[in-house]
Amino acid sequence: MPGGNTGIIGWFNFLHKGIGFFAYAMHRISGIVIVLYLYLHFFVLSNLLRGGVTFNSLITSFTYGPYDIFIVMDILLSLVIFYHGANGIRLMLNEAGLGLKHHKLLFFVFESVAMILMLLFLYYAWQVLLSGAGV
Amino acid sequence: MPSENYVFDIERNDGKGSIRHDRFQVPKKKISTVLEGLTYISENLDGTLAFRHSCRMEICGSCSMSINGKPRMACSTIADSLNSEVIRVSPLPHYEVIKDLVVDIDPFFEKYKSVKPYIIRKDEEEHNKELLQTPEQFKLYEQYSMCIKCGLCLAACPISGSDENYIGPAALAAALRYNLDSRDQGSNVRLDITGGENGTALCHYAGECSEVCPKDVDPSKAIQILRRSGIAHELKQFFRREKDARR
Amino acid sequence: MMSNMNMKSEGTINKKARSMGSIQWLFQAATGAFIIFFLGVHLYVAHINGGSPVELFDTVVGNLSNPWWLAFFLVFLWIVTYHGLNGLKGIIYETGISTRGRKGVSWAIMGVYIVSIIYGTVLSLVVAQMTIP
Repeated sequence: MPGGNTGIIGWFNFLHKGIGFFAYAMHRISGIVIVLYLYLHFFVLSNLLRGGVTFNSLITSFTYGPYDIFIVMDILLSLVIFYHGANGIRLMLNEAGLGLKHHKLLFFVFESVAMILMLLFLYYAWQVLLSGAGV
Repeated sequence: MPSENYVFDIERNDGKGSIRHDRFQVPKKKISTVLEGLTYISENLDGTLAFRHSCRMEICGSCSMSINGKPRMACSTIADSLNSEVIRVSPLPHYEVIKDLVVDIDPFFEKYKSVKPYIIRKDEEEHNKELLQTPEQFKLYEQYSMCIKCGLCLAACPISGSDENYIGPAALAAALRYNLDSRDQGSNVRLDITGGENGTALCHYAGECSEVCPKDVDPSKAIQILRRSGIAHELKQFFRREKDARR
Repeated sequence: MMSNMNMKSEGTINKKARSMGSIQWLFQAATGAFIIFFLGVHLYVAHINGGSPVELFDTVVGNLSNPWWLAFFLVFLWIVTYHGLNGLKGIIYETGISTRGRKGVSWAIMGVYIVSIIYGTVLSLVVAQMTIP
């Protein structure tokens, strides 16, 4: 409805918007993705009840095949989570009235630190996966 | 070769739901600002074009509209600075359109009024002399007093676009402006309103209000400061260290 | 029509003025801070120091049979579910639903929260009792 309320669609219209808006919209999207994942996580963990053999073969199939496409999903998920966490800390500070003068700089600083931490995490987690492949 | 004309692509709205786009050729050397372009159109090409304007110098806050997809003041938007031959003009988003580029700005002022943007005194009846203020005390709120009520912030705010109950950036900045005023004694009354469900809690600091504000009021900064005092106020009330300031 | 709209906006703003908006924000921020810590530990334990994924079952059961780890994960579960569902509630609220709609959503989210944490807690307690084959 031009002129009137843009509704939810307006939350995700990045045209002619600043970096704060990008941070806000991505925080919202990543938050929804993480909640969906949380329930997927509950579902997968429910398979613990089916015993060690079933659960381990399930996890192995997600990790080493035939469904190892989930590794890609996991990497994307870590991107979403680290983004949300870093921006969350910034929002926590900013929305409590701290660092308001440099909120745009803070966004880049926090996100950069988070991305470095994420790469470190992915590197070490990958080493674990490689070491487990031979078992 | 650059053409000699701007093309004004204007969204026309009869206020009853029918929308069309009219294109007008406006000579570049005749106009400087977008508002001048609109005036040129109404005087020379189509007298039925409805738009609101008054001072032409970013003081009155009347000519807010969406120009090339962003809420701006038509009077202070230099056509050349848009770097585009085509200038798309449409009514300000998040407001009901009355006709063409004229929107109903009443809800904006209702929200503005709801935060009690005036000095509240406990000695309302008694005081009979001027309330003094030092330049330092004035500096504290000067920035937030620059608001010209143009309504651009409400048009830029993503939450205002979906939730019409949200008090919005301009009103919240006004609340802070009076809370910071040394002559005012009504902070607690305002914090009750701005700390409520439709106040600062709905702001997620996208900062678009500050991006579009023509007077650099920085409403998004004001909201975060207001949020902090709102939390302190609510916690104090919760632990009953503060007398209930409502009424 | 115009006066109707004004009354509506004025009424909603004034009537719902007091409803702990700021405290909600404080809770969301505080739980968020906790999650940074909890999730950091969780990612380290599950993906870096958790042994081979092929034998993940043993690691999980081993961890949960330790009461300290069990308590850790239970608190983590309660907090992370709260933070997620509360955030979701805020997003739904801001789509501009009515006051009645907000109440309905609030109850529904609370219901989902209670079911989720009861299920998660029972699951953790049951898994903690399982034996490693």
